[in-house]
Amino acid sequence: MKKTRCPAGDLLHRWEGNPAITMEDIPFRANTVFNGAPIVAEDGVYLLLRIEGQHGYSFFALARSTDGFNFTIDEKPVMLPAKEGPFALYETKGIEDPRVTIIEDTCYVVYTAVGDCGPRIALAKTTDYVNYERIALISEPGNKDGLLFPGKIRGRYARFDRPIGLGKGCIWVSYSPDLTNWGCSEQVIGPHEGYWDEFRVGASVTPIETEEGWLEIYHGVKMTTSGPIYRIGAVLLDLDYPSKVIKRSSRPILSPREEYERIGDIGNVCFACGAVIADDGEMKIYYGAADTSICVATCTLEQILTEAF
Amino acid sequence: MIIDNSNLLTKRCGRDIVHRWELNPLIGINDLDFNCADIHNAGVVYFQGEVLLLVTIEYPTGHQGIHLARPTSEGIYKVESNPFLHQSEEPKYKRHESRGVLDGRVTFLDGVYYILYNAFGDYGYRLALARTEDFGTVERIGLISEPDTKAGVLFPAKIKGRYARLERPSDGSIWATYSDDLLHWGGSELVISPRGGFWDESRVGAGATPMEIEQGWLVLYYGAKDTPAGPIYRIGAVILNRQEPTEVIGRTNMPILSPRENYERIGDVPNLVFPTGAFVDNDDCLKIFYGAANSCICIGITTIEKIVENCLESQVEY
Repeated sequence: MKKTRCPAGDLLHRWEGNPAITMEDIPFRANTVFNGAPIVAEDGVYLLLRIEGQHGYSFFALARSTDGFNFTIDEKPVMLPAKEGPFALYETKGIEDPRVTIIEDTCYVVYTAVGDCGPRIALAKTTDYVNYERIALISEPGNKDGLLFPGKIRGRYARFDRPIGLGKGCIWVSYSPDLTNWGCSEQVIGPHEGYWDEFRVGASVTPIETEEGWLEIYHGVKMTTSGPIYRIGAVLLDLDYPSKVIKRSSRPILSPREEYERIGDIGNVCFACGAVIADDGEMKIYYGAADTSICVATCTLEQILTEAF
Repeated sequence: MIIDNSNLLTKRCGRDIVHRWELNPLIGINDLDFNCADIHNAGVVYFQGEVLLLVTIEYPTGHQGIHLARPTSEGIYKVESNPFLHQSEEPKYKRHESRGVLDGRVTFLDGVYYILYNAFGDYGYRLALARTEDFGTVERIGLISEPDTKAGVLFPAKIKGRYARLERPSDGSIWATYSDDLLHWGGSELVISPRGGFWDESRVGAGATPMEIEQGWLVLYYGAKDTPAGPIYRIGAVILNRQEPTEVIGRTNMPILSPRENYERIGDVPNLVFPTGAFVDNDDCLKIFYGAANSCICIGITTIEKIVENCLESQVEY
């Protein structure tokens, strides 16, 4: 496996074959592909892809790989916006940014349903990665970047999300006894004034349980006169009380630098949607680049825990 | 060269139905022998065996003017350094063209070549009309809209006995308006609007001069989607009833061309492809002339048949 490390000091190494998946790899007409969530399957790594179709709204397709780098995409999408039933009204503008979490052998997908009243967080599950059963819409409008923790915390399911209050995008945590009804919401982290993540932050990767706490790889946004810059950072949270911050990276672990990250439908975006950790601690982080392709970056869990903060 | 299809090299992108000319951009800043800030769009006209272009140039001062470009024997285009249409000093036009003239679209009607352009002045954008018979001299007919109207194109035939134009007033939709004398316009009706959730959800406007085809009028239009990093401009198509242009016969669900190449993604206005002219040659090959990133002129190639098929297909799911 070839990888490059940016001399300017990004902690993550880019795969030399980036971008891993572009619109040219999609077997049907599509505008772009980005923000893919990895699933560790028996025969390799799958990615649940967000594809922006030619209409302009998004849906999901499945990519399969044996090595985690080279993917083949299924002929047909696996999940399209609902056309009828209780979800239809809230998915008129598409479904976006899936994040996958396995809890007690069930594969859950938290995604953003986009409708006329704005984005809402929704939950679905799958057993074969091809058929998805919708469970519930689990937030009010004005909320996105939802993802489930991989286990219960103090007896309840837990999730991150990103409501917008006072124009600020912060990461919050909420709890549920049944995955449908949620409450006890608390703020986790907010924008860090003056820093690279001073405009908005949102959870990105399903939290990784470590001895030191929950490692959350998140996205931070800085607004500039020519638009936002999306970078990737890390934060370490208390295992029992994830609203308690142990450490937070003061600098990003990956920033847009390569052409495929700087140029696209939305330039200057690195947006992680999931990570896979091998037994030896080698970690692959999948991220959308410039809202136009999917890329892979690597490092070890150890490196993040020792060097990111 | 660009008319000879035997050696026309095109570059495919994914499953897009418009293929890019392999030698794009056709005209960039370095091809000019005078100083300019950037190159916007180009109206297209077939005149005496040649395809002429009316190119909008932004000067280093920020003002804009329309320049004629002719094909040379080497097969490239040469943009004339003297403007074809320049901001007028005439009292009637001066205030309304103080920031320049731009986006000329050409229509041939009853032996006259009409140029519908944007006059950009103290009060914003207004539509204005000029005429020529030889592309040597040009004569202004009048300012034909109130401010805040852009993207005007004149139909190449009268509709129910009246002149007709498409335009984009301040609501960001395409409208049709009619006239008996080309000076007084009325009877305005909505034609198409932006579609929520789609690639054209923020604004739409007519691009190339309407083309008469078997099914009615074929109009290439631009659709914008606003993003946090600025708008993305793409090209779509719509077929309108020949007698009632407000009746939509078909509209592409998907864009026929989206910014993908670096020359479309990087420039003064990035992520922009903007059609202002098209030309069908003897082989039924449709050449779309489009401005890219407000910095160069490019050619996209397809067929009327493929575009019609895209307009008429039922709402595909993905």
